[in-house]
Amino acid sequence: MNHQKPLIEINNLNVEYWQQGRWVQVIERLSLQVFPAETFGLVGESGCGKSTTANALLGFAPRGARYSSGEVWFEGQDLLRLKPSALQKVRGRKISLVPQNPTTALSPGMKVGNQVVEVLLNHAFSRSKEEARQRTIELFRRVSLKSPEAIFNKYPHQLSGGQQQRVVIAMALACDPQLIVLDEPTTGLDVTTQAQILDLLRDLRSQYGMAMFYITHNLGVVAQICTRIGVMYAGRLVEVAPTRTLFAKPTHPYTQGLIASVPRISAPSRRQSLLLKGILRRPDLPPGCQFAPRCDFAEEQCFSQAQQLIEVGPAHQAACWRWADIPAFKERLALSPIAIEPSLSASKPNDQPIVEVKHLQIGYGANRRERFLKRKPTIIVDDISFEVYPGETLALVGESGSGKTTVARALNGLTPYVRGEAKYAGRHDLTIAVDQRSEEILRSIQLIFQNPDASLNPRQRVSKIISRPLAKFFKVTGEAARERVERLLQDVRLDQSYYNRYPDELSGGERQRIAIARALAAEPDLLLCDEVLSALDVSVQANVLELLVELQSKRGISYLFISHDLAVVRSIAHHVGVLYAGTLCEFGKVEEVFNPPYHPYTDMLLKAAPEPDPDHVMPHTRTDIGLLDQSPNTACPFAPRCPVKVGEICEQITPPWQIASQSHRIRCHLTLDELLPRQNKDYELKIKESIE
Amino acid sequence: MNIVIKTILSRVFLAILTLLAVSMFIFWAAEVLPGDIAARVLGREATEEAKQAFRERLNLDRPVHERYLIWLSGAVRGDFGHALASQRSISEVVGPRLKNTIFLALYAFILYVPITVFLATISALNRERPLDNAISLLTLIGLSLPEFVIGTLLIYIFAVNNPIFPVMANVQRAKSFWDAVRMTTLPAITLTIVMAVYSVRMLRDNLIEVLESDYVRMATLKGLPRWRVVFFHALPNALVPALNTMALNLAYLIGGVVIVEQVFVYPGLGTQLVEAVFLRDAPVIEAIALLVSLIYISANLFTDIFSILSNPRLRTG
Amino acid sequence: MSSRVSSLQITQQTEGFNVRLKRLPPTMIIGGVILIIFLVIAFTAQVWAPYPAAKTGTGRPFENPSSKHLFGTDQLGRDVFSRVMLGTRIVLTLSLSSTLLATILGGLLGLSSGLIGGWFDQLIMRLVDIMISIPFLVLALLIIASAGPELSGGYFLIILAVAIVYTPRITRMARSVAIDLKTRDFVTVARARGESTLSIVWHELLPGATSVLLVEFGVRAGYAPIFIGSLGFLGFGVRPPTPEWGLMISENRSAIVSAPAALFSPGLALALLVVGLNLFTDGLARVLGRTVRPGA
Repeated sequence: MNHQKPLIEINNLNVEYWQQGRWVQVIERLSLQVFPAETFGLVGESGCGKSTTANALLGFAPRGARYSSGEVWFEGQDLLRLKPSALQKVRGRKISLVPQNPTTALSPGMKVGNQVVEVLLNHAFSRSKEEARQRTIELFRRVSLKSPEAIFNKYPHQLSGGQQQRVVIAMALACDPQLIVLDEPTTGLDVTTQAQILDLLRDLRSQYGMAMFYITHNLGVVAQICTRIGVMYAGRLVEVAPTRTLFAKPTHPYTQGLIASVPRISAPSRRQSLLLKGILRRPDLPPGCQFAPRCDFAEEQCFSQAQQLIEVGPAHQAACWRWADIPAFKERLALSPIAIEPSLSASKPNDQPIVEVKHLQIGYGANRRERFLKRKPTIIVDDISFEVYPGETLALVGESGSGKTTVARALNGLTPYVRGEAKYAGRHDLTIAVDQRSEEILRSIQLIFQNPDASLNPRQRVSKIISRPLAKFFKVTGEAARERVERLLQDVRLDQSYYNRYPDELSGGERQRIAIARALAAEPDLLLCDEVLSALDVSVQANVLELLVELQSKRGISYLFISHDLAVVRSIAHHVGVLYAGTLCEFGKVEEVFNPPYHPYTDMLLKAAPEPDPDHVMPHTRTDIGLLDQSPNTACPFAPRCPVKVGEICEQITPPWQIASQSHRIRCHLTLDELLPRQNKDYELKIKESIE
Repeated sequence: MNIVIKTILSRVFLAILTLLAVSMFIFWAAEVLPGDIAARVLGREATEEAKQAFRERLNLDRPVHERYLIWLSGAVRGDFGHALASQRSISEVVGPRLKNTIFLALYAFILYVPITVFLATISALNRERPLDNAISLLTLIGLSLPEFVIGTLLIYIFAVNNPIFPVMANVQRAKSFWDAVRMTTLPAITLTIVMAVYSVRMLRDNLIEVLESDYVRMATLKGLPRWRVVFFHALPNALVPALNTMALNLAYLIGGVVIVEQVFVYPGLGTQLVEAVFLRDAPVIEAIALLVSLIYISANLFTDIFSILSNPRLRTG
Repeated sequence: MSSRVSSLQITQQTEGFNVRLKRLPPTMIIGGVILIIFLVIAFTAQVWAPYPAAKTGTGRPFENPSSKHLFGTDQLGRDVFSRVMLGTRIVLTLSLSSTLLATILGGLLGLSSGLIGGWFDQLIMRLVDIMISIPFLVLALLIIASAGPELSGGYFLIILAVAIVYTPRITRMARSVAIDLKTRDFVTVARARGESTLSIVWHELLPGATSVLLVEFGVRAGYAPIFIGSLGFLGFGVRPPTPEWGLMISENRSAIVSAPAALFSPGLALALLVVGLNLFTDGLARVLGRTVRPGA
């Protein structure tokens, strides 16, 4: 491959941003090539300069950014020094972009069809309006949008996220470009939608043969779609290798740590020493290797001497001069103690559950006035039952809108309408509102939110944030409170220097630790964790997850862990409930849920989750889903999307619970035998049918 | 489409209700609150009979709610009664004044909209460059100058030192339409300046936000020329929220007109209101306050309806 | 840009409240200096002003500026410089007290309206709608017209009129702040902990709300001198011979040809004061991490 002439070449690129009155370097000496027809993946955590690289490939300098040196060569021209008029002929015509968030990338006041037509006419790719219209509809058909003529005349807000992303992809394809730059194109989409988009991209690639530059933080996605990968850290490229080589023999310690940090459904344990340690701020970065402060193998020289990419194998480069001394990845994996591991049940069989929920129904909008007007509440969650055992973790998984968060809010007494039964420790009623609860219950159940930016009051110092529950539940104030706050900070592995800071002076991972410390201050028995990891980068995620596991084993706290990430759930949960559109469709011990027989929805989720392993091939799961903003009116809510739907019965009769074991149950009309994985061929056929 | 009509109808209904409540407030403030009008108009020394006759003529002896209803039913038909001071019919007195004020306001508005859009656009496109900084500085100075100072300055420069325009804008004496335009130019410019300094800043900020948005970046990276990006993707999306500001400015226009008319001795509603307040002429105050509120409420209503119609999100439900 | 929380911080997030407090923006410093000068003048002018404000015949009528009369004289031969300096205290007192009154009233009404919700909120908001539907100067004139002769021309009536005009506008703003704040996650956490409403308001809401109200106070106070000047100019402000700047401009209008200094010096003082207030507010907003939206 490397004997080919590169399609586009970034040469020694340096990019700086104007921040707080000075130029800050965000990309340093970046060089890379993309060859025709290959899919190059650029991975790295947020803030490492991925999107900046995407901009450079389009010759685009956003406000406050400057290209201090370097070139981007494309067809014998340096894109960074091209006149605007010449650049306009390249952008959208030869190099096009699929941006991160299709919802904000489409002009809100223009019909989506016209937004594609605009590109075609602008580049004189179509000669007339009518011709452009025809081509747009054809493009919409090729990106598998159902009824393209109707979509043509829609405004962006009328489309679902998946549909919007397809429109943007159609727009990128419009003029048959040679290179498509994809900037996190599936971030923010549900896993099943993500799987469909990835599928679509693979199809288009084989049809058109264009090159793709795929930017993502998700190692699973790159493993599934890219042929070659570059790993970026703090504005520098630290390793480049073909996909298989990178995952089999990662050489740079950062790449090793990153790969080891990613949770996998197939191999949920993670090793201690490979987890990435520490958090760095830009000003603390050393002039030499920027990874040195977090590296186990760093020597003095590393801190002062910048590293260059050097050949470490065929088509494989890494920026670490000590690479030969670092033990191979597989070796390190084998030697290191396990840090995160799905724990076996901590409870004894006859333990009483700490939370027991039966036939719970939760809704909004039925206040006194509306009840008087005989208005029915909007039911978000219907008829769910589960138990949480002391010292164990129950995970609720599902896509956005499945009602997972509502369950947590209801257990906290924050939803206005709760029917059914919910007991705490067998005695206390949990269906009552928060203002009627006893001090004891209020203390025992604590809540942690997804986004620490929003859940910490920006006008309070860390000390005040953590000491509020102390004052409320234990009447501890003054010097005694200070001591306890400092101990809590230690418990979440932060030092005393954090005591007087404001939340906006902390990084995301640190903020989430503060939120955990605040919850711990109440000495709870049950923690409701609502997507607590999903806003964090993988390496931070692994650390916070490890912290949660450690706290559980030390203090015996139970978790209700709400997440959309199956791999994370696999590594922390003891029991799992799968939620779809407000109903529970499968419930059981973690190893039971992650092994057949599956509910068809669980099956779909598992198949859609991209594994960070190029050998783990994702099956075709493409089904075009329409808008799902209304809860389906079918008896089994999953029926409209179900690839193995039995027939009318699914729409009319609520499916029964199929009992697989004492702890494992699946709600489906199919019997357990039928739910076991079928012959692949048969399954593919069914899926094909469901598309048509 | 049904939902749009429903929304618009409910807005219209709400506007009418607000107007009713406003009329009650105005009536209460101008006629009930000050106490005995007869004593105030005729003086403390007037005989009891004279006061009684005055009260009867103006229905002042009836209960408040009856008086309000009589006044309101008259107002709906355009009959506001008679001015206390001159005894002339109010519609006769206010009519020509209203026409003059509308003339001035329209003139100012016609100057204001393009100037605002133009200045805000070049300011946003040259963000933090000398041109933008200069415009920012000018608007800051404009923000700090009251309209009576701006008006006086304009008179000083363009009427006293360089007699291009008349010092006083007595449009009643205008010989032709263009003569009236010439007389009204300085007051209209004063109003335009005061309104523009607010909205240039706001529209500039809106535009900058839109120019930084993902969809404008996307439009640029599609290879569209700059003018197309600005006119088809940025401006339409920045203008709609700015419309609200412009409606608020219309409210200002109606209020600011009072001062500007006073500066230029312009025979409009504003000078008449000031006169009426001096004379404590309740019927005239009521009529003008109600008219002005009516104009304001309907302006707001129209921008509301316009933004509903121009927003695809609202239009398509 | 990516919405994910980074392990590597390169965004402005490192610039926390603490840091912003230590590095005051230049606009705040310039505005602050201007305000301090005006405050000093307000407190000391009685001591050093060359003539009493109301003393007539200190020179001929409408003299041009000279060393004896820095800003010239007015129609009655009063010293304009002395009058401008002595007027500072009156303008500042009227502006700040009326704005303060309106901010306290509007803040309380708006915050409680947003927090309590229900019919109370509906009632307050309808009242606010009505008040806002009358253009502000017309509303002010209506209030002045409805007052009896014993009030007219007095400080109290001016303060009252400005406060009544400002209150509904501030109420609306404070309500939106309360509604925004009460749906934040940190308030939900406090509610889930079972904190009392009073404790939530005190610990969680007020710190955020005060900064918004402070900025709002600044924006309104920046317009108040213009508002009060306008009333004076129309002849509905404080009664003559009080040296209020708007009134002075109106009184000296006939000097536009012969002694323009008498006319423009109070205008310049007014503009400078407003510039100072606006700059200071702008800087304050930056320190508090807010954006200023000019409000009419």
